Formats: sequence, structure tokens, C-alpha cells
Amino acid sequence: MLGYFNPASWQFGILLGVVCVSLSSGVLSPLVVSNRMSFFSEAVAHSTLAGVALGLIMGFDPLLTMIGVGVIVALLIAALRQRSPLALDTLLGVAMAGALAVGVILFQWKVRNYADMDAYLFGRITFLTRDDVIILALVGAAAIAVLAMMWNRLALLSVSRPLAQSRGLNVGRYDLLLIVLLAVVVCVTVRVVGLLLVNALLVIPAAASKNLARSYRSMVWGSLAVAVVSGLAGLFVGDYLKLPVGPAIVVAAVILFAASQIIGLRRGRVMAEN
Amino acid sequence: MSDAVLKLDNVSVEIGGRRLVENVSFNVARGELVALIGPNGSGKTTLLRAILGEYRYSGRIDVAMRVGYVPQRLAYDRTLPMTVLEFMALTTQRLPLAFGVTRRARARGLELLARVGARKLAHSALGGLSGGELQRVLLASSLERDPELLLLDEPAAGVDIEGEKTFLDLIKTEVKDRGCAVVLVSHDLSVVSDITDRVLCLNRTLMCEGKAEDLLTAETIARVFGGGHAVYDHHRAGPHGKHDHDHGGHRH
Repeated sequence: MLGYFNPASWQFGILLGVVCVSLSSGVLSPLVVSNRMSFFSEAVAHSTLAGVALGLIMGFDPLLTMIGVGVIVALLIAALRQRSPLALDTLLGVAMAGALAVGVILFQWKVRNYADMDAYLFGRITFLTRDDVIILALVGAAAIAVLAMMWNRLALLSVSRPLAQSRGLNVGRYDLLLIVLLAVVVCVTVRVVGLLLVNALLVIPAAASKNLARSYRSMVWGSLAVAVVSGLAGLFVGDYLKLPVGPAIVVAAVILFAASQIIGLRRGRVMAEN
Repeated sequence: MSDAVLKLDNVSVEIGGRRLVENVSFNVARGELVALIGPNGSGKTTLLRAILGEYRYSGRIDVAMRVGYVPQRLAYDRTLPMTVLEFMALTTQRLPLAFGVTRRARARGLELLARVGARKLAHSALGGLSGGELQRVLLASSLERDPELLLLDEPAAGVDIEGEKTFLDLIKTEVKDRGCAVVLVSHDLSVVSDITDRVLCLNRTLMCEGKAEDLLTAETIARVFGGGHAVYDHHRAGPHGKHDHDHGGHRH
């Protein structure tokens, strides 16, 4: 356990990786929840397997192809949402299943390395390299910087699109920005918790915080706190009990969400009685 | 734009292969209050959103630089924990809301809320407001840029008749009388007739145009809204705007 706090040890890199993922997902989570984009991030996550397989087949860095495929799938869904008469959840259902199926087929057909596939499905944090941690840190810092600059406009977009439009916002451009940012964060986070669980890190922090917050400011800081606490708890407890770290992080986040739900419901009942 | 703050020339809007608005032309002068009336599905909201630039259109729209907008309703997550003051600050401060509301944005927000008689709502949750309270907050927010033109999309939908009248009085004193032009979408001519300078009747295309008292006739109503509708005067309704439906007519 002490190895995590020794900068010379390989475990220190893992700790940094988890902190970076927690910070970027904790900051992005309020916008994912308030813009109702959770299904969206799930679809992008499912497409990453095909991206990884393509990278391995073509001899490119899988992270680059994963981000490329993730962004393309995200933009395709966004374009279809504008033009198709079908509901968004229907389109996302098709995209999720289709992208995952293509990924599995590519792995079986050309890659044949099932340990790799397993690592991408459920995450394997011990596979994180020094380069991975640097990429996680850079993406996290970039995501936070971009969000900080655009935050209020993206939040207005989540309240009302026509209202945002009337204030001179280019709604399409901000939509695109959020979609690309979300796709990139999902792709790098997959390395830690796996594509089947990544969405939990983008939804649970803000959902848990929302249960207790009384202002937008407190929801954002609460989301960040839930993401970091569940990240660290999942890492340390998972390591101590010899559990897979990715699922342990998600379980820690779910426990925090359940606690916030209970407190929120009790508080609501007390307020209703008064 | 000369004296006009809004000019529409032969505007048509087509969405999903359906033409919802067809060849509409009209001007709105500075300080004028125009009511845009028509039955549900007549293209009123579509036209407003085309003016805002949300929908593509053919024809030409010239619109003032500073436009305020009050939507029909906010289709947003009402459980989102956002106070009214935070909502107001979304457009008045650059500092991310995560770091709180700046002193300047707070002062501006409180000033605008006071103008519409909603200062006491500043710290309330946006999602917990009643329909009438929310409309006041949206009106306050729309005044933030000191607009030359204010677009109101059925601003009092879901509010009782008394609340609607109070809100429209507010539009007159706080908006129109200060020189801002207003386009007010409504499906209820009798309610807006007291404050409008001019009425435009829309049913996909512009059906009629004129002063409210000239248009508030059974013949015009039947032409715009179709058969089965009658003129009903809310001013003769019972206490607190309750309706007496014995006459068998519909609200229009």
C-alpha cells in the first residue's frame, strides 16, 4: 500500500492515473447528467473496442485509433440525432450494440488476443504504462481547462437550447465541443475501468452529488469529491482485498450514491413534513 | 433596419419534409407590441425559433442585435440543483459557476429580479418555482442584455388567468413602455387584446393582420382557428378568472 506514495514505484503511476481519471470524470459528470448524455457516453465507450482492434490490426497505437473511432461514432450519432425521426435512445441502442459487435468480431477474426479484449472490457489498471499516465494527465488537464472556459455556456445549454440560442450561443458548436470532449475522456478512461463500466464514472458522481446539493456550485464540487473518493477507495480497498480495481472503483461510487439517495430521501421527507 | 427591429420577408420553414410556416412577411417597429396568434400547431413557435436562428428558413429575416427570449416552458431537469441567482449568472459572468456567483453578477441579477417583482426568489431552487414564478424569472433573465426586441412564446401558458393578466401588465410597464419591441405568441386573443398594438393571425401562413378590436370577431376567429370556436371574454369571467362554460364556447 505504501508503494502508492513512493514516486519511484510503479504503483505511484497507477495512483496518478486514478486521480487524473477521477478529476476529469468528476468535472465532466455534471454536464453529462444535466445534458442527459449518459447513453451517449455509453455508446462511445462500446465503440472503443472496435477502435482498439483496428489499432492492433493496422499496427497503430490503439489509444489513437480508439479516440478516432470514438469521436467518429459520437459525431455520427449527433448527426443522426439532427436528421433521423427516431428517438435518441433508439439510435443509441443501435449504435451501442453495433459498435460492440464489430469490436468483438474484429478481435476474434484478426487479433485473437483475448487477454487484451478482457482488459478493455473490464479495465486492468496494472497494465497502465508511464505513457498512459502522461496521456491521462494531459487529457484530464485539457478537459478541465476547456470546460472551465466554456462552463457557463454549456450549463445554459443544459437548461434550455432555445434560450441559449437567443443569447447568441452557437448551439451546434457547443454541442460538438461537448461531444468530442466526452468521447476523448471516455476513451482514455476505458484503460482504467473498462468500457463496460466507464459510464458509471461519468454518471454516478453528479447523480450522487445532485441528491444532496442545494446549488449548482455545490453539485459540481460534490461530483468532484465523489469521483476522487470513490477512485481512491476503489484503488486502495481493491488492492487490499485483491479485487479488480476498475469494478472496485465503481462499487465505491455506487455505495456513495446509495448513501446520498437515502440521505436525500430522508431530508425530502423531513422538509415535506415541515 | 431603420425604425424596424424585426423584418420578415417571405419566410418559410420546413422541418422533416413538412412546411410548417409558409411565405410569412411582416415588420415590427421599435417599441411596438405585436401579438402573434393562431391555433395549436399553426407554426407560431416554429416561426419564433426561426427568428432566433434555431431553425433553417427560406426568405429573409432581419433582426435587431439585442434580442431577449422567454420560452413557452423550460424542458429541463427540474431536479437540477440550481438557484435562481445562479441561473441569472449563467449569462452575466465569465467565472465558471462552480466558483460561485460574482458580486457584480449578483447585483445585476437582483436588480433584474426586482424589476419583475421576483427579488425574493433569488435563492430559491429553479426547479421548485411555480409556473408564474418561473415566467417572471425568465422575463428577468431575458432583460439582461437590455433587449431591443423581446420574443415571448406563450409566456403565461400554465398560469391562471389572473396570473396571466398580471404578467402581461408587467410586460407593458417594464418592457414596452421602456421602448423595447415585443412579439408575443398566444393562442388566446382576448387575453392579449388589451396591451397589443397589432395582431398577426398565423395558421401556417399569415391569415390576417390588424388591431385587436377589429379582429376579435366571430368571422375572423372562425377563419384563423377553424369552425367550432367562439369569442369568449375573460373580463366577464367569474372571480379569479374562473370560467363559466355554460355558453359552450372555447377560449379564443
